[in-house]
Amino acid sequence: MAAPLPLISLRGITRIYQAGREQVRALDDVDLTIQRNEYLAVMGPSGSGKSTLMNIIGCLDTPTAGSYLLNGTAVEGLDDDALARIRNREIGFVFQTFNLLPRADALHNVELPLVYAGLSIRERRERAREALAQVGLAPETKRRPNELSGGQRQRVAIARALVTSPSLILADEPTGNLDSKTGEEILAVFETIHRAGNSIILVTHDENIARRAHRIVRLLDGRVSSDVVRETAR
Amino acid sequence: MSLLESLRLALSVLWSNRLRSFLTILGILVAVSSVVAVVAVIEGLDRYVSNQILSTGSHVFQISKFGFSTDHDTYLRMLRRKDLTLDDAVALERTMQHARAVVPVVSRGATLERGKEEARGADVVGLGDGYPELRTLDVVAGRHLTRSDVQGRRFVAVIGEQVREKLFEPLDPIGREMKVGRHRFRVVGLLKERGSVLGQSQDNVVLVPVTTYRKMYGRRDPININVRAAGADVLDEAQEEATLLLKLRRGLNPWDEPDFSVSTSEMFFELYKNFTRGIYGLTLGIVAVSLLIGGIVVMNIMFVSVTERTREIGIRRALGARQRDIVIQFLSESVALAVLGGLFGVLLGGGAAVLLERVTPLPAAVRPWSVAVGLLLASSVGLFFGIYPATRASKLVPVEALRHEN
Ligand SMILES: Nc1ncnc2c1ncn2[C@@H]1O[C@H](COP(=O)(O)OP(=O)(O)OP(=O)(O)O)[C@@H](O)[C@H]1O
Ligand SMILES: [Mg+2]
Repeated sequence: MAAPLPLISLRGITRIYQAGREQVRALDDVDLTIQRNEYLAVMGPSGSGKSTLMNIIGCLDTPTAGSYLLNGTAVEGLDDDALARIRNREIGFVFQTFNLLPRADALHNVELPLVYAGLSIRERRERAREALAQVGLAPETKRRPNELSGGQRQRVAIARALVTSPSLILADEPTGNLDSKTGEEILAVFETIHRAGNSIILVTHDENIARRAHRIVRLLDGRVSSDVVRETAR
Repeated sequence: MSLLESLRLALSVLWSNRLRSFLTILGILVAVSSVVAVVAVIEGLDRYVSNQILSTGSHVFQISKFGFSTDHDTYLRMLRRKDLTLDDAVALERTMQHARAVVPVVSRGATLERGKEEARGADVVGLGDGYPELRTLDVVAGRHLTRSDVQGRRFVAVIGEQVREKLFEPLDPIGREMKVGRHRFRVVGLLKERGSVLGQSQDNVVLVPVTTYRKMYGRRDPININVRAAGADVLDEAQEEATLLLKLRRGLNPWDEPDFSVSTSEMFFELYKNFTRGIYGLTLGIVAVSLLIGGIVVMNIMFVSVTERTREIGIRRALGARQRDIVIQFLSESVALAVLGGLFGVLLGGGAAVLLERVTPLPAAVRPWSVAVGLLLASSVGLFFGIYPATRASKLVPVEALRHEN
């Protein structure tokens, strides 16, 4: 019986930054396989390469060396348009700093990935409203980011990540800018969407948050130092 | 993202930076408004000049004491020249081989009256009897002035449409009396309506025999002599003939410079065409320079806009925007900016043309093609100068754009 095709398969991923004369190995020979519907937490001290890993998985950055298969497709050989398409269809990003467009209202922010997917306005509206409902928002659709609380902003951002029904949601310290109570609410949202069948990779510094995931990958100096699947999970 | 949506987005961005947008489009605004205004005025002038001035008759030339003078000294020298006389006209008529008609012309302004009615600022024109041959004046009722009117120095007049309207409406003017200054005239004919040239009505006019004119006003007003050549082929010969005859009559040798001027309306038209060509050249210069400046300003502002929105570009790229989408987004913005400049330019230029027409006698007509050219120029500038910033925006590396602080 063949093993199921993994969602993500990283082999020997290395990312070297050129900072002036110095070379920084942000990622050093990382191997990692992630299956569908995993809820995975990435931990590690500051500068250990967590964000770099997320950016490479999200096709925002390309590795210096190594191979990356997403849904069985080799990402290395793809041109910019194909990468844009992957970011649009396969990946949903949630950032620590929300990264909403300040001039657009919540609904329009959620619609944005669908705009680049080429959907009609009517379809966009409908799906954006559904996504907002999924994260527990609805009446705020006419408000702009600066009229929303931090928690609400992050909900909008999660709705935006969900709206294209991507294969994978990447969240880089999504609760880093929120108080603990609001952070708790956001984690609940992630758990709900995980139960609905989404795959999630979440970067965090907080052990308590990490413990709620089903698998914890720890990075140290650009290498995987431990990779634990928790007994209670699955 | 559809073009329409890009445009809507572009407009909302421009609107949120109103003042900057306005300053940015000034150059383009100046360029387009000068195209529209200058074309409107010159085309308006052209129409009148070609219709009216050239219709003073073909193969007609005018002999006058004055020529074109470009400075005051020349004018003063011309002023000291001997006047042309009625006898000169009579002599030309008798001796010229190549003339169909020789017509002395003299005019001044006067007030016309009939009972309580009054027409101020009318042109009183004294004419020799050959004037119908010049083919510029037609009567629609009654008759022209005749040789016996001229020889008999009769107080008879042919009036223009505006004079009829002011003095005689609703009566038939033919056979009725009116006063030119304090002199009593009988109306014998009514001229066909001629409209106005450069805001001057051509119908507030009364034609009288040149001899009667002299009897009324003396010899002070200088006489011009209009000559119609026997045909287009002998126009040059007729001019030489008249020049030679007049030199001899005025005591000059045939090889001397004439102390009078001989000119055709074609010459005037040439002069006019040179003038408009000059204006167009100048406009072209202004337009080119302001478009270039406008374009560079647009380019710079677009660079500023790209820098300010680096983060936004990163977000859009992370959400799936292709390079092409980013290019289109910023190009729509620069084109929208430029076309807005063009539209304001059309309004301003058209407004200036209309205003000019209202407050000066210059005619003006806003030409659709000039509007089209103006808008085309504006959008090309937006496109051309927008390409570089837009391409730069699209080439930003998504991660780096996202990390940008703003
Ligand atoms: N654009 C860059 N140029 C040079 N060096 C970089 C760049 N981005 C990251 N680095 C370096 O690469 C290493 C890994 O950075 P990364 O952002 O992935 O760390 P991180 O684990 O996300 O840290 P944090 O918890 O503080 O967010 C760090 O040493 C960092 O200084
Ligand atoms: Mg990080």
